[in-house]
Amino acid sequence: MKYHLRQALLAMRGNVTATLATLMTMTLTLLMLGFVLLLTLNVNRTIEQLEGQVEVAAFLAGDAQDEALLAQARAIPQVRDARLVTSEQVLTEMTQDTPFARDAAQLVGNPYPDTLRLRVARVEDTRAVATQVAALPGVEDVEYGAGYVDTTVRTLSAVRLAGYLLVGLLLLGTLFNILNAVRVAMYARRDEISVMRLLGATRGFIRMPHVLEGLIVGALAAALALAILTPAYLSLTERVQQLAPVFPVVRDTSTLAPLLGGVACLGILIGLLGSVFATRRYLQELE
Amino acid sequence: MIDFKHVTLEYPVTRTLALDDVSLNIGKGEFVYLVGHSGAGKSSFMNLVLKRALPSRGEVRVAGEPLSAYRGRRTSILRRRMGTVFQDNLLLPHLNAFDNVAFALRVTGVPQREWPQRVTAALRTVGLEHKKYALPLQLSLGEQQRVAIARAIVGNPPLLLADEPTGNLDPDNSREVLKVLQNVNLRGTTVIVATHARDLVETFRHRTLTLRKGKLVRDDPYGGYAL
Repeated sequence: MKYHLRQALLAMRGNVTATLATLMTMTLTLLMLGFVLLLTLNVNRTIEQLEGQVEVAAFLAGDAQDEALLAQARAIPQVRDARLVTSEQVLTEMTQDTPFARDAAQLVGNPYPDTLRLRVARVEDTRAVATQVAALPGVEDVEYGAGYVDTTVRTLSAVRLAGYLLVGLLLLGTLFNILNAVRVAMYARRDEISVMRLLGATRGFIRMPHVLEGLIVGALAAALALAILTPAYLSLTERVQQLAPVFPVVRDTSTLAPLLGGVACLGILIGLLGSVFATRRYLQELE
Repeated sequence: MIDFKHVTLEYPVTRTLALDDVSLNIGKGEFVYLVGHSGAGKSSFMNLVLKRALPSRGEVRVAGEPLSAYRGRRTSILRRRMGTVFQDNLLLPHLNAFDNVAFALRVTGVPQREWPQRVTAALRTVGLEHKKYALPLQLSLGEQQRVAIARAIVGNPPLLLADEPTGNLDPDNSREVLKVLQNVNLRGTTVIVATHARDLVETFRHRTLTLRKGKLVRDDPYGGYAL
């Protein structure tokens, strides 16, 4: 193993440009991946918070069958929770926020209708639930903050999808970089490899230094990416917490450690896979 | 040791007929020359024995087994039973003579503690024990070829293939290399030498196989160069 490791380091030294190019691309990819994953984590947390807050309010007509409508609303699969709030309860709530509401009600009567208040299981289903409830006989109007919820969900989902696409492309690019670097390294050692084959070296023996090369580059890129990403994220989220405490940023170690560990493992895995493919292909071409 | 039965080798890309219906047998412990003009099929013969090529028709058996039986890891094991020496000695320029020879032991997984004794013995056989720390560039072409022979025999293979081993050498060095190959043969190793060197074939007489345009045209058990 000492021999293979030495050969791997020699191959990397003899092929510095390709090795550095691979290392940098891979580090950037892992940084990007880490960034997107952390962003997704925070987006998910924000969406969860939204899900907890978003409510569909269905205003009922005066002659509506309140209990029957409540049962119908509860039967909608996307509805997590539904409750009936009478016009009197609404007035009481409104009076808490706006004390003059009760005075006004005494003059013109209670203006608030009985209301069904629904919570959805997934925030993305809000519009669908609102549409279904609006279609029920006896429902006069529905309100769910359409503009706010729809735009937020669409933006967050688009950001998440774009991030995944970008990371996918970068991972593919990194894989090709590794393939290329290992191939160049093997080509540089072609005489030695040719001698090895004639002397009866196994494929595993010939491939080992280059597989180690991929592994080392992957591990170095992972270490570099984590060394940049972790402090940068912690400092950024600290700022966000100070400036916009409304955003539920993730900073707990128990959530961050597995995610960052996963990014590091992926870096090592990409390095390993790239070099395994490259060495296999090179030797197949020689056969 | 080596058995060719109606072997034809045609390279598919160039559609060159390298060997044409060749049948022969080389027994254990023999010393055999393979002679012929350039393109006669000598290197193709070597490539088949080394399993660097497979016959288009016919059967090649090495050590009693058909080439097709040697797959994957077994190909490596087959090659460990053969020492190979080429016109270009293929020594690794950054390793000294000792390390070049030891390289054969390293790649075949021989424990490191055995290297000094075995490498020294191989270098002694080729008369270069005193130059074990010399880099290839510090050795003459003849000496480099002898180091390549030491590397080929350090694993004690039962078969040694030498493809134009004296191609780059002057007459004196060529004779030295032939003597070394004969010594290796005297230890019981089967030696096959592909060569153009008429004087060597005439001087050190052994069984001689003559190839012409891929056909085996002569198998002379007493030697002699007759093209």
